[in-house]
Amino acid sequence: MSRTWSLALRRTALIVAIFVLWEAVTGGFGLGIVLVSPAILARPSSALGELGPYAQSGLLWRDLSTTLTEAMVGLVLGIIGGAALGLGLAYLRGTSEVVEPVLVSLNSLPRIAVAPILLPLFGLGIASKIALSFFTVFFVVFFNTYLGIRSVDPELVKAVQVMGGSRAHLARFVVLPSVFSWIFAALRTSVSFALTGAVVGEFVGASAGLGYRLNIAAGLLDTKRVYLILLILMVFAVTLVEIAKRVEARLLRWRPSATLGT
Amino acid sequence: MSVSCDRVTIRFRASVEAVSDVSLDVARGEFVAIVGPSGCGKSTLLNAIADLLDPAICEVTGRIEIDGAGRRERTRRDANLGYVFQRDALLPWQTLLENTQLGLAIRGIGKERRLARARELIAMAGLAGFEHYYPHQVSGGMRQRASLVRTLAYEPQTILMDEPFGALDAQNRMVLQAELLKIWQETPRTILFVTHDLAEAIVLAQRVIVMSRRPGRVKAVHAIDLPYPRDAFALRGSAEFARLETTIWQALRDEFRLATETNA
Ligand SMILES: Nc1ncnc2c1ncn2[C@@H]1O[C@H](COP(=O)(O)OP(=O)(O)OP(=O)(O)O)[C@@H](O)[C@H]1O
Ligand SMILES: [Mg+2]
Repeated sequence: MSRTWSLALRRTALIVAIFVLWEAVTGGFGLGIVLVSPAILARPSSALGELGPYAQSGLLWRDLSTTLTEAMVGLVLGIIGGAALGLGLAYLRGTSEVVEPVLVSLNSLPRIAVAPILLPLFGLGIASKIALSFFTVFFVVFFNTYLGIRSVDPELVKAVQVMGGSRAHLARFVVLPSVFSWIFAALRTSVSFALTGAVVGEFVGASAGLGYRLNIAAGLLDTKRVYLILLILMVFAVTLVEIAKRVEARLLRWRPSATLGT
Repeated sequence: MSVSCDRVTIRFRASVEAVSDVSLDVARGEFVAIVGPSGCGKSTLLNAIADLLDPAICEVTGRIEIDGAGRRERTRRDANLGYVFQRDALLPWQTLLENTQLGLAIRGIGKERRLARARELIAMAGLAGFEHYYPHQVSGGMRQRASLVRTLAYEPQTILMDEPFGALDAQNRMVLQAELLKIWQETPRTILFVTHDLAEAIVLAQRVIVMSRRPGRVKAVHAIDLPYPRDAFALRGSAEFARLETTIWQALRDEFRLATETNA
């Protein structure tokens, strides 16, 4: 207990130290030290000062909910689509060998590079961001599902078969739990991918969202706003990944590693 | 006959002969042990009996019957087989209580009855209090007990066991042997028990089949005429046990020696 507390304390101390140092070298604390021009590196206190106006204008809430919606819808659709295709291909032997090279090539494409073509396809609204988010998550989940099915323990299959289990029993007791464990193990990665997809999609063209606002602020050389949004994105991402971690630990509590560590 | 193999030969990818011309009969309620050097095809033979070999990589000739029915004349459920694997093969995502109900669930037994049966056997196996643990949270001995309980729960007529205690330490192994004896003495079922531990085979079985090194053939069959009920611990010190061990070891020793020579 005391060990975890002291770790939490030391971690917090490090974060505070970084901010204090950052503040100090950007003209903070009345020290008059400006090592980095405020046009490049905003002072943390002035960046946070931007929070008030941003929130009061109502834009903060709108941007947050837009980006969250895009990322979450993309995430859920990506998981469903990836799992469905992975399961389908694994069950249709023969097809998988034919389709695999196509999927591997699509996957080796830097996923966010497709953003510009999604815009004319899905428009400036949230659909194009959902599509990009989907696209990034889809492959992670697809490959994990596919691997999950291939790595099903043959002993477990035998155990169910010898008891007289049908194909449906095999799916229910062995294949699906095994596949789900692979999908959930990829949940954290999927969540950050979904967020990346949404934000990059907004860079390319949008009318709301944290990525859109960030892009505008950068264009206006509004460094304070840029850093504020980066901080918000960071907190946002950490929160989502933390939630994903908890969900994963809960669902995979049967696994030796899921109960351990951070 | 519960299990009957008639001139069974098993080849992998048409070249590697794993089991060669094996004929054996196991009567209903009989406890038979198979011993033989590593790689002689013991697991392969059990898998063939349980009809678990993949026909794509493996060819089985000869005839294997369970209760008089060949593999095309019965469904897996009719065969009513139990199989205890060397690695416990428990579902890692299910608690011990859920795991032990697997066979009953597959047979469509209602939840109430399933649960009652599983709890009863879990208590009998000394696993009470661990019902809601996952396999990785309990010791190897407990997992193997749970695996045994899972098999006993749906009351198979014939149980195949593939070195079920092989991964356990000597103490745990003896305790589980004693428990298996007790269970079998109370409710005789056909058991075909594979082991590389000769003492284990003698303590448990009515008959010990010695297999040769690969390709596995039946080299010798020894009747173990020690009366039941047997005491797994006391038996090991007896003169009769020592005599049997020496006799059977004569047959087995050559196979081990030759196996190491050919491997070298
Ligand atoms: N999937 C396979 N493909 C090819 N050969 C195989 C396969 N499985 C087993 N064999 C061969 O069949 C032989 C018998 O293997 P098996 O596992 O039945 O031996 P075993 O008697 O159970 O050995 P052990 O005591 O080590 O468990 C081995 O020599 C092995 O090389
Ligand atoms: Mg074996």
